[in-house]
Amino acid sequence: MRITTEDIRVGFHTRQILKGISVDSGNKELVGIIGPNGSGKSTLLKCIYRVLKADSGAVYLDGDELYSMNAKSSAKKMAVVAQHNYYNFDFSVREVVLMGRAPHKKALERDNAKDYQIVEEALQRVQMEQFADRSFSTLSGGEQQRVILARALAQQTPALILDEPTNHLDITHQIMLMELVKTLDVTVISAIHDLNIAAAYCDRIYILKDGVLEACGTPAEVLTPEMIKKIYKVDAEVAYDSLGKMHILFL
Amino acid sequence: MKKEKVVRTSMYAAVLIFLILFLVFSVLAAVTFGNADLSLKDVYSVILYKLFHIKSLAAYGEGAIHDVVWLIRLPRVLLALAIGMALSVCGVVMQAIVQNPLADPYVLGISSGASLGATLAIMLGIGSFLGGNSVGICAFMGAMLTSFAVIAIANMGGKATSAKLILAGMAISAVCSAFSNFVIYITNDKNAATEVMKWNMGSLAGASWARVSAMMPVTLVCVLLFLTQYRSLNLMLLGDEVSITLGTDLHRLRTVYLVVASVMIGFAVYCAGVIGFVGLVIPHVVRILFGTDHSRLIPLGALLGASFLIWCDVACRVILKNSEMPLGVLVSIIGAPCFIYLLVKKSYGFGGRK
Repeated sequence: MRITTEDIRVGFHTRQILKGISVDSGNKELVGIIGPNGSGKSTLLKCIYRVLKADSGAVYLDGDELYSMNAKSSAKKMAVVAQHNYYNFDFSVREVVLMGRAPHKKALERDNAKDYQIVEEALQRVQMEQFADRSFSTLSGGEQQRVILARALAQQTPALILDEPTNHLDITHQIMLMELVKTLDVTVISAIHDLNIAAAYCDRIYILKDGVLEACGTPAEVLTPEMIKKIYKVDAEVAYDSLGKMHILFL
Repeated sequence: MKKEKVVRTSMYAAVLIFLILFLVFSVLAAVTFGNADLSLKDVYSVILYKLFHIKSLAAYGEGAIHDVVWLIRLPRVLLALAIGMALSVCGVVMQAIVQNPLADPYVLGISSGASLGATLAIMLGIGSFLGGNSVGICAFMGAMLTSFAVIAIANMGGKATSAKLILAGMAISAVCSAFSNFVIYITNDKNAATEVMKWNMGSLAGASWARVSAMMPVTLVCVLLFLTQYRSLNLMLLGDEVSITLGTDLHRLRTVYLVVASVMIGFAVYCAGVIGFVGLVIPHVVRILFGTDHSRLIPLGALLGASFLIWCDVACRVILKNSEMPLGVLVSIIGAPCFIYLLVKKSYGFGGRK
């Protein structure tokens, strides 16, 4: 699925958070959005997953304007793993993942065996199947993050929006999550903090600073020492290992 | 792991069946308690005769025993059933709507709105043209007006959030209590003040078939409606943002649920005054035992709440000799320690961080 934004502008009071952002993801592309804290990454993603309505501009899913469809239709097209998943409730892990099936359900339809099977598979993919009957609130931050990813997988959407998905995760699970996302064969738009993760997994990267797009291109094109200096004000060096993989070293 | 799920499901089914049977038992047992000393045979003969018109029991078709059982006790027990069920389910729904474990059916200022209505009726005779239960009707109108006012205020200047609902409820509640107290103060009528107080403590003593036939259908229809809404109620606990990404816009649903719940509570107030704590404690007890999933919470809460109020009312009738304990007082005496126990019990925090 293609996700396109057109000149998104968002302001709170007098402060402009996003000053006309147009991004575009090709079908089944993994697009990374990077930028310093407060650059507007999360705000842009919130506009895309319809939690925040932009002051002007539009979001298109495969050419259809986001607000021309209802919440249920858009939830069948994209699943979201947001940044803060603190919930004030005591559901079991299985119940949380089962909620990912909600957009596929009619008002009076019960959950059936197929839904439970999808849930089990989603839990297996994030290696959380042994936690299925645990209470969600007793899990660690990283485990909760993986459960939320499982919920997004259970939604079975052609697109996935991730807001710094590797936060809270140890390196094993950071790599697991990114590898998993890469193999899903769906469109992914993800805000990413770690430049090396972005360099290793993204097909394309948008760089955001102070609500303005600074650059766009493949990791090798945009993650140059000059650009990193300009955006983050740190000196960096780009090195390639014996496998040809790109690494960013901070000096 | 599969096995665990099966065990949990079959345990849920077993508990559900047990609670249904217990509710039937409670109704049948509760009609045998009371001030009049009747034998079990007399009590059930009256009921059997009224239900099936068995010829050999025709003697029970009229007289004192018939009146006590059929016109006083049975409607009272059925009213307790309906109100207990309504308050318990409303508690579940309100806690989901405002995402707050402290919410009870009266959280939106409904109880103080109701008591303002009752106070005006008792003190100033407003609405006396409404006939027999003018106090109840005024209380119903007070309850509905306050809950609609709270919903309207919370929707002003942007969408209603759970925090805005609670705060609007608190504010309206303060205004209504202040007016009630003002009216009581200026009229300075001791007898009427006592009557207001009695009314605020709740009682099923005014039970009649007319009230049962008002309360029971409202309760059953509303509870059935909420039984079908378990998925949205679950999503409500995750908050508005997550719900949108899962395909449900809660804003409209929240208002609809509030209106339905308010109608149920309004009728409960009309029939029996303000009965606290049922709607707070019962949902939490069920959550501790069976988790937060509303597909289980609502049926179990409804059944448990109904049985609980039936037995509380029985206790009201038998604890004091030749007199009745106010139901609201007794429920609070039982409910408050339960609530303290819940607060202290560490393994339970309505979820969230402990």
